[in-house]
Amino acid sequence: MLAAQIFAVIIFLAMFVLIVLDKIERHLVTLGSGILTLIVVFGICMRDGKAIWDIIAIKDFVKSDFWYQVAESESKGINWATIVFIAGMMVMVEGMAKAGFFRWLCMKIAFLVKCKTIPIFVTFMIMSAVLSMFIDSITVIMFLAAVTIELAQLLKFNPIPMILAEVFCANLGGSATMCGDPPNIIIGTSLGFSFFDFLMNTGVCAGISLIFSVVFFYFAFKKELVSTSGEVVDISKLPDPSSAITNKKDFIISTLIFALAVVLLVTHSITHLTVATIGLGIAVITLLTAGKNALELIKKTDYKTLVFFIGLFIVVGGLEETGILEYIAEFIRTISGGNPYITIAIILWISAIASAFVDNIPFAATMVPVIQSLAASTGIPINTLAWTLAIGTDVGGSATPIGASANVVGTSVAAKNGYPISWGRYCAKLAPATIIVLAISTAYIFFRYL
Amino acid sequence: MSQIIISVGREFGSGGRVIAEELAKRFELPIYDRHLITEIANRTGMTTEQIEKHDEAPKTRIISRRVRGYSNSIEDNIAEMQFDFIRKKAESGESFVVVGRCSESKLRDFDCLCSLFIIGDMPCKIKRIMKLYDMNESEAEDFIQKKDKKRKRYHNYHVKLHWGDSRLYDLTVNSSRLGIEKTIDFLEGYIKARMGK
Repeated sequence: MLAAQIFAVIIFLAMFVLIVLDKIERHLVTLGSGILTLIVVFGICMRDGKAIWDIIAIKDFVKSDFWYQVAESESKGINWATIVFIAGMMVMVEGMAKAGFFRWLCMKIAFLVKCKTIPIFVTFMIMSAVLSMFIDSITVIMFLAAVTIELAQLLKFNPIPMILAEVFCANLGGSATMCGDPPNIIIGTSLGFSFFDFLMNTGVCAGISLIFSVVFFYFAFKKELVSTSGEVVDISKLPDPSSAITNKKDFIISTLIFALAVVLLVTHSITHLTVATIGLGIAVITLLTAGKNALELIKKTDYKTLVFFIGLFIVVGGLEETGILEYIAEFIRTISGGNPYITIAIILWISAIASAFVDNIPFAATMVPVIQSLAASTGIPINTLAWTLAIGTDVGGSATPIGASANVVGTSVAAKNGYPISWGRYCAKLAPATIIVLAISTAYIFFRYL
Repeated sequence: MSQIIISVGREFGSGGRVIAEELAKRFELPIYDRHLITEIANRTGMTTEQIEKHDEAPKTRIISRRVRGYSNSIEDNIAEMQFDFIRKKAESGESFVVVGRCSESKLRDFDCLCSLFIIGDMPCKIKRIMKLYDMNESEAEDFIQKKDKKRKRYHNYHVKLHWGDSRLYDLTVNSSRLGIEKTIDFLEGYIKARMGK
């Protein structure tokens, strides 16, 4: 077992280093690491064919509770539910983007607040958080940042503060629901939580934090958001929101599909449909209604992210099966002395600090078995630890430009349009905001659950 | 050949930029080098200083991340803007000379591309840099090595084959052999032959 443990750790660390170095595409890194784990750790060191079978978890597809779940269940190995759900949502989002939904929504809201800078700033922050509850934050920021720049050029204000605030709120909104951020999907599907469970726990925390964040950013950026030219802009000369709609029929269909996805997600603890079923169903409906465009939507799906997840789950499975994650749990147990307050604080802040610098998806996937072990040995309810982990990984990612995908997309869109955002510029406001939200979250978890 | 694109890669101090400028003059073509910075500045509203700071510079990997083709690195974004710019110019049918910017690879699929890489002997390069930048010998050598290292890292990050690898270029020429003037004459002949093909 010792050799298996050593190799599992080496493969995991090498994978992390290669992801950070960005020499090889990250999906190839995790896939290669996953294959190595299967061959070296499970095959050569452990000689355990059953463990390989369990990690690949293909049999999950034929289990009824993969599609229709009455009782809570936990999954091991490749978390196919996460992968199917993410793939399904990717197809839906591609359909919505193609029809012009996101651009229309952004323009519509800007017009509803009469294209005034401060109201746009506040409404875009809220919109960013709300959309990110259901749609991946990459897509939300891709469109929101682009429209923000367009409006900034027309209305003559600096778009950087607005983009930074949107990025922060997208990460915050993502923490509110099970499908908002990949770590939440992993935590939710691994531990058998529903969309509603997240909404009533991390969602409440995100809601409170959002209020503080809007106030914080308002005061932090108020001066920078003043129009640079001072001239009054005639909004009748701005492009009409309806011009964003590329095809009215596709627009209505994609809006209806999105509404259906939201309803199915909110009610999935009542209907017992799993996120895998919802993801697959939404993808099938999108493709059927897309007609001849279906192939284009499939081609646009980010398969690399899906491959990234598959490899990652295998590597983390290697750490779990060889008992390495038990050592990490034991370490946290020892330094906290079993005190739930210290345990929660460690998980929340370490998750946040780690997520600020490394991809939060591998981190969350690694930590799920750790919190399971901690729950079993310390008596702290697994739910409390799960919400702590979710908030830590989701919110912590906001602190630096590389902490979360939304940050990278936001800063990239800004730079490509002539507004480069350096690390210093980014961290000056977003790192303090992250610390404030983490402090609020710590207090929230302490008061509500302990 | 109605369109010609001359891509000039170069070692620092080899006189590659001067050669590119002279070739542009002889063939009456626009040249994109520092001018590329101005063009991008005009297009985006960034200052030339902002772009220059990150021009042909490798990103710092440890503080950069890439997600679905998006990168938070300012160096990456400026590089991509430049790649887009020269690509669009090439697609528009324009003939031009471009210095560096991985142009030999980024425009590889254009038949009219004529890619050159200018190298030089270290003593000659040192002599040139000492004169141009008013440096002593060791300062000049350090400066050359630093600049070349930066260009190499930039190139090798954006392109699969290595900077200076002869497989990337039509010709790799040592400007110290014939001197800069005669190297230009030699290259002019080659380009004319290519154009007449």
